[in-house]
Amino acid sequence: MLKWFRDIRSNLNTWTVLSIVFVGLILLPSLSIILQFSAETNENWNHIKEFMLDTYIVNSVILVLFVGLFSAIIGSSLAWLISAYDFPLRRFFQWGLILPLAIPPYIGAYTYHGILNYTGVIQTTLRNQWDVTVNQQYFNIMNMPGAIFIFVIFLFPYVFTITKAFLARQSTSLVENARILGTSSWRIYFKIVLPIARASIVAGVSLVILEVLNDYGVVKYYGIQTFTTAIFQTWFGLGDLGSAIKLSGTLMLLILGLIVLERILRGRKRFSFTTTKVTLLQPVKLKGRSKWLAFSYCMFIFTIAFIIPFIQLIYWAFLTYEQGFSTEFLQVIGNTVFVAFAAAAMITVMAVVISNISRLNRGLIAKVFPKVTILGYSIPGAVIAVGIVSLFIGIDEVIYQWGWASSYILSTSIVMLIFAYIVRYLAVAYNSIDSGFERIGIHFTEASRMLGNNVTKSFFKVDVKLIRGAIFGGFILAFIDILKELPLTLILRPFNFETLATNAFNYATNEMIHEAAIPSILIVCISAISIYFFHYVLERE
Amino acid sequence: MFVHIRDLHFKYPNADDHSLEAFNLTIQKGEITTVLGESGSGKSTLLRLIAGLEMPTKGNIMVGDHCMCSQSKFVQPEKRGVGMVFQDYALFPHMKVEENIKFGLQKWSRREKKTRLNEVIELVNLKGFEKRYPYELSGGQQQRVALARALAPKPKLLLFDEPFSNLDADLQFKIREELRKILKTTGVTSIFVTHDQDDAQALADQIVILRNGKIIETGSPSKIFGTDCDISERLAVKPRVLSKL
Repeated sequence: MLKWFRDIRSNLNTWTVLSIVFVGLILLPSLSIILQFSAETNENWNHIKEFMLDTYIVNSVILVLFVGLFSAIIGSSLAWLISAYDFPLRRFFQWGLILPLAIPPYIGAYTYHGILNYTGVIQTTLRNQWDVTVNQQYFNIMNMPGAIFIFVIFLFPYVFTITKAFLARQSTSLVENARILGTSSWRIYFKIVLPIARASIVAGVSLVILEVLNDYGVVKYYGIQTFTTAIFQTWFGLGDLGSAIKLSGTLMLLILGLIVLERILRGRKRFSFTTTKVTLLQPVKLKGRSKWLAFSYCMFIFTIAFIIPFIQLIYWAFLTYEQGFSTEFLQVIGNTVFVAFAAAAMITVMAVVISNISRLNRGLIAKVFPKVTILGYSIPGAVIAVGIVSLFIGIDEVIYQWGWASSYILSTSIVMLIFAYIVRYLAVAYNSIDSGFERIGIHFTEASRMLGNNVTKSFFKVDVKLIRGAIFGGFILAFIDILKELPLTLILRPFNFETLATNAFNYATNEMIHEAAIPSILIVCISAISIYFFHYVLERE
Repeated sequence: MFVHIRDLHFKYPNADDHSLEAFNLTIQKGEITTVLGESGSGKSTLLRLIAGLEMPTKGNIMVGDHCMCSQSKFVQPEKRGVGMVFQDYALFPHMKVEENIKFGLQKWSRREKKTRLNEVIELVNLKGFEKRYPYELSGGQQQRVALARALAPKPKLLLFDEPFSNLDADLQFKIREELRKILKTTGVTSIFVTHDQDDAQALADQIVILRNGKIIETGSPSKIFGTDCDISERLAVKPRVLSKL
């Protein structure tokens, strides 16, 4: 008993208390859904279950399967080409092929629709220049295959980057041995690269899938019924939060199943070598036809996934920039920067606290806290939103009943939106900061403590100076993600509060695609600059 | 006696066996004690327990007149007044040599800091290197900075975790001699852990041989090495599973 008190007392410091509070806060929305999941059903839910739930499940599963499959094929093949071969513009493609991530799929969705529809650039040119009128059926992208196309071309870089990083560092000896043994390139790809990179490919694909399940913009715009659109509809269309909670709970179960599947697919072996001696894979120079084939493949993907939508957006922005730049638009920019900055700053502080205490601690905290922290990222925005609203309304009711306020104050304020961003994007900053801590190890902190500084002093005098880059990186990554965020913002923003993302999406859904270009291009450019910075500048350093 | 460790036990979470079991040790003031053992014998764990970087499952540690750790008490590492030289030195890479050395002297006045800096710099023979960054120094020099940094706040007890393992053989020999001289000059009580028998023989007043978390033998170097030149067998860590059979 005495020892138990001693252990608690000596482990209890500001860092532990703060991180327990933070982790508790992050868990609240999910707990709120779980607690209300088994509540009594109503008519709406019975109706949804009987007539619509199957469609949501089937559509979501089709999207997840095909997007997963195609992004695995494209992402891993590009990663292999870039890591193992040298061909024109290879160095550029190394980071250029990550650029499609700068275009959020919902922006890509309405841009491609704008390009391909009757008044779009392709059909207009065909009609005006060559007097050709095409069958609309072949140019309609607003359907399931269209949505799959959009998700694949804008999300495959997740698979590409993770697989590329793995291949460049970990496959050298195996690939070189195979080359020496005279194995052909195709055989190496199928027999060696795919099996050993399986874990990275699966990791990349699961990120893609989480993004697909999180999406609201693409499926809403293309009119595909999925869980996310259903949550929106039951809530805003039917005004039924209870059924929205049930849908969210079902989706959470589905994701839980996916995470278990990922663990199984990834396999027991992680195929990483224990040696710290890393030899980089030397790319083989391609000659003749194969050189141009490799180049064309990369260029083709880069063109459809970045150049075409980017140029189209710039063109539209030129058409509308005069109306675009108004005081209202400046207000939108101000709003976006404010919420993104506030949330990213809080996220960074929380990530630092949780990451630091997890590494200094042994036992339960070190095991559980990191897992809870990254939980939010696997839960779709709409689900987090449902959890948070039900939670905040509950709190507001208490406040109201106790007479502390005359109306619902929390659930109508920006606090709710910022809290939601924190729950969803804490993982992004956490991963960056945690890898920073991992790189410096624990000895500097211990040395500082042995010289008379407590945990907090050691953190400010030593740790923070050594992981400055990782902290800044975590902040920027969270900032950019919040800047692009759509479903959470749409649901939780206070009345009349617009961000760049909601502004662009509202224009697009109101058939004002040209006007959507300016906010879109701002989002794309800011994201592209950060990608350039992270993957080109930092990697070179 | 100056350091008194009684019935110390430690087990890492999730581990089946104790890393340290029923460990007892007494050290006189100013004495240099070497804990000799193979990797996995629990010697680094012992050092971390004395430093306060780990919490024992059972047992007491006294340094001077102060109880550092018992069933009901645990003094945090920053409050123990114990210094430590890490295996990888852990010199703060963003600070110059002088800043590293002055790091533990925050509560001292400016003048005191300066005087102490000069004293220890002279002691470890590093004059002229104050303004360098750790990465601009050789392995041996880095090691001396680490020693100077640990000595500067005048710790009651100094701990060394395999301090020579990163140096080449020639340098090891030289620095061992120097180190013993420095420690004897300052009169600081110190504990070394090492797997190197030569280190132990050259430095120690008292040697403790540790195997599988338990003390096998304790005594002066002449007692330990006098009877049998090859003590490798006594040191060897038995695989835990086998030792259970």
